[in-house]
Amino acid sequence: MTEEHHAHPSPGQYWKIAGFLATVTAVEVAMFYIDRELELGFANAAVLIVLSAVKFLVVVGWFMHVRFERPLIARFFTAGFVLACSLYLVILTALGVVAIRGG
Amino acid sequence: MTATAQRPASTIFRRPKSTSGFWGWVTTVDHKKIGIMYGYAAFLFFILGGVEALLLRIQLTQANSEFLTAGAYNALFTMHGTTMIFLFVMPVSSAFMNYLLPLMIGARDVAFPRLNALSWWIFFFGGIFLYSTFIFGTSIPPVAPDGVNFGNLAAGGGPGTFNFLAQSPDGGWFCYQPNCGPLYSPGTAMDFWALGLQILGLASLISSINFIVTIFNMRAKGMRLLRMPVFVWMSTVVAFLLLFSLPIIAIALFMVTFDRQFGTLFFAPVGGGDPILWQHLFWLFGHPEVYILILPAMGIVSEVLPVFSRKPLFGYSAVVFAGAAIAFLGFGVWAHHMFASGITPVAQAAFGLATMTIAIPTGIKIFNWMGTLWGGKLWLSTPMLFAMGFVAMFTIGGLSGVTHAVVPSDWQQTDTYYIVAHFHYVLFGGAVFGIFAGLYYWFPKLTGKVMNPRLGKTHFWLQFIGFNLTFAPMHWLGLQGMVRRTWKYAPEMGLEPWNVAVTIGAFTIAASIAVFIYNWRHSRRHGQPSGLDPWDARTIEWSIPNPTPEYNYAKTPTITRLDEFWHMKYDTDDEGRAVRRPDADELIERLEHEGRNPESPIHLPAPSYFPFLMASGIPIVFYGIIYHTTAWGKAMIALGALVSLSSLIGWGIEPLEEAVEHHDEASSADAEEVADPHESAQTELE
Amino acid sequence: MSDLAHAPAAHHDEHESTGIESRKLGMWVFLSSEFLFFGALISNYLLYSNRAGFEGVYPAEIYDIPFTSVSSFVLLMSSLTMVLAHHALSRGDQNGTRTWLFATAALGSVFLGGQVFEFTEFIVEYGMTLSTNPAASAFYMLTGFHGTHVALGVIMLLSLWGISRRQGGLSDKQGLNLELVGLYWHFVDIIWIVIFTVVYLLSSPPA
Repeated sequence: MTEEHHAHPSPGQYWKIAGFLATVTAVEVAMFYIDRELELGFANAAVLIVLSAVKFLVVVGWFMHVRFERPLIARFFTAGFVLACSLYLVILTALGVVAIRGG
Repeated sequence: MTATAQRPASTIFRRPKSTSGFWGWVTTVDHKKIGIMYGYAAFLFFILGGVEALLLRIQLTQANSEFLTAGAYNALFTMHGTTMIFLFVMPVSSAFMNYLLPLMIGARDVAFPRLNALSWWIFFFGGIFLYSTFIFGTSIPPVAPDGVNFGNLAAGGGPGTFNFLAQSPDGGWFCYQPNCGPLYSPGTAMDFWALGLQILGLASLISSINFIVTIFNMRAKGMRLLRMPVFVWMSTVVAFLLLFSLPIIAIALFMVTFDRQFGTLFFAPVGGGDPILWQHLFWLFGHPEVYILILPAMGIVSEVLPVFSRKPLFGYSAVVFAGAAIAFLGFGVWAHHMFASGITPVAQAAFGLATMTIAIPTGIKIFNWMGTLWGGKLWLSTPMLFAMGFVAMFTIGGLSGVTHAVVPSDWQQTDTYYIVAHFHYVLFGGAVFGIFAGLYYWFPKLTGKVMNPRLGKTHFWLQFIGFNLTFAPMHWLGLQGMVRRTWKYAPEMGLEPWNVAVTIGAFTIAASIAVFIYNWRHSRRHGQPSGLDPWDARTIEWSIPNPTPEYNYAKTPTITRLDEFWHMKYDTDDEGRAVRRPDADELIERLEHEGRNPESPIHLPAPSYFPFLMASGIPIVFYGIIYHTTAWGKAMIALGALVSLSSLIGWGIEPLEEAVEHHDEASSADAEEVADPHESAQTELE
Repeated sequence: MSDLAHAPAAHHDEHESTGIESRKLGMWVFLSSEFLFFGALISNYLLYSNRAGFEGVYPAEIYDIPFTSVSSFVLLMSSLTMVLAHHALSRGDQNGTRTWLFATAALGSVFLGGQVFEFTEFIVEYGMTLSTNPAASAFYMLTGFHGTHVALGVIMLLSLWGISRRQGGLSDKQGLNLELVGLYWHFVDIIWIVIFTVVYLLSSPPA
């Protein structure tokens, strides 16, 4: 009837996840300074975006428990996220922040 | 049926017990009562919006008329549009959804009854807040930075009557920037508009969450998603549209408020802000908004046409998926309101193309409605006339809409009356006709009576003729150059004769509404009793007595197929025709009896003060924001926040297991509590 | 106290057609709409943050990355304490729940304190206010609304903590509320994950 209660991570695992998140954050900050020195340009942005995406997904999946919930929840969440990204991408393109060739 | 309550546990206020009388309405959490309140409030605003329109029409009947000042004219068309969209069509759709959704899915109430009441009261206070602009709003002639008066006629400059109206919001319902910003619209009028809409948006957002959870979680056994009535489907789609579009306008309105009140520079070109950003954000909300306005009416029509054609809806799945497709595509076309605003050719092409694609699912729905009528045994009752009127008028409006999708053509039409014609055909010819179809159709559920058919038909024909007389000429008036949002036109333009016709049409509409109001009031008292199933309907909300009992279903139904109620009464013969079962009349009598006599006590959510209280704090805060530079303003912000926050805490503490025990006179007062799987006695924190 | 404290009392959950408790579903639905809310604010910032030609100081010129990094770390750790609170409740450890709830609220308050400090610095040291230029307006609007969300979260956390103290513990039903507040809290955290990267680490003033 109600959702089955799948195994939750144990506190130990939560601490490990938190450690992982802290490490990734440290790497991000390091990237910031590295980029200031080396001026990596787009590569810097790509790395940072990937790293924060990883943090994002880890918090959503484990802390917000989405990995263990019914798929409907992930679908709602993803729908909002995808819609937001698409709409705002179009607006930013139309306003010239994001350039498309020939646009 | 009396309802008695159990004594509440200790709370700050005694938990309200009554479900009748004035306090019964103030503290109700019953979706039906809430729906009724939404309906009456919305209709009141419909009248106000109509009066605003009539004043506009009087002004436009003659060229160079000076009946209204320019400022009053601007305020009237702003408030007419704002009222009709946010204070009439949206809340009346909410009225239908509130009343019907639980009934149509076999539930006893929505998922979050107190939250439902909260939405209603927030709307209520928001409407009052917005309209208080007529009393408190100010509109000062703006002065350029170099000290020269812009010569804005808004605050009573120029000849004409009704000058006091010029103190109200006058930037159009879309409030383009920087015209509606602090530089060009000083005074408080536009703040009332922006903050008022913020309050109303909050109400709708909360509602949308409630409806989504209700529809997903509270369906009766066997009520699979693709067995739900189309109206429920359309309501689901609308709820998602609201859910995702309201946050955008909320931010946009915050930005306007901050520009006006706190000195930010989002839309002020002088400081580097971008006025087009406003247009994007507004229309990103505004276009889904128009589908929010029309889809409920499409749902109503999809219920009415099959019943009065005595045939199932043609292509149920297609109609459902088309509705979802319209909503989805509707998120991708907003810049078609900006073709003349200087967006790039690529953007114009992309949005023009996207706009054309929406005609496809819309067309699917129209053909399916026609397919429903085709070969049916048509019963031209009043609801049926309005539903058929919807199909015809909406199609016309849709066709003019397609012409807007052609960008160069749109450049000619923009800001002319051609556009006014288009959206009134879809919103009035569409949504309003659909709404009236629903009012006549479901009137028996509310009252146990049927509305007078002769008066109904008089209403219909007067409205139909009046509507077409009003809005059809606007097509050619627009193409001949009559400009929107302009309070006068010159005599040599030759626009006057048709404008006279338009005004006559407008007053004809007014007369038709008067007939409706008379019919409603008269039929409530003296209408013919409807019985359980006056229309020989198809869906389960008609399988319970009229007026609807407080607990809805004495016994929650089990659903085995689409149009369950119809199939309880009718079999299908070898040629696919419906054959009424011999025991159908007995069935109806049995349903009537069972519906009024539940076997065991039914627990209903208990009434509560907190939604009302919490909602009341919000306009206080917002008045405070408008006057925040004064001590009074700051005090109001604090007071309102305190009221709302403490109500929230009180709500949270309010004991969960309160229930108003509902039983009929026959059963004993000590009847045991039966764990009813469908009871909605769960009350909740937020 | 049941071992799985977020299972609500039996006669309430028999009827969720999706199998997900209604209040939980409601919170998820609400959170999905918040993407549109913060998306608009972030887009606003991206539009203005490095647009050339504004007068006055741009936010990206005056960020204190080390300071904000610590702030971000604090907020991230508050998500840890939040799940630990939830976990404690699921094992019936009311004291532990209270401790971790309080810790979460405390960390959230530290974050807020950091924001206040940061804003004060910006205003007093660099003269960047709401009205300096659109970039500044967008920055304050985005981080301000985020901070408001955090503040509301802290209030909810402290309310749960207070109710638990008053009653000697949280019931099953209130346990669901804790889970819901947790979801909200993590959401506010992930928005900050995006903001930290996009606004602080990646944005730069116009050349």
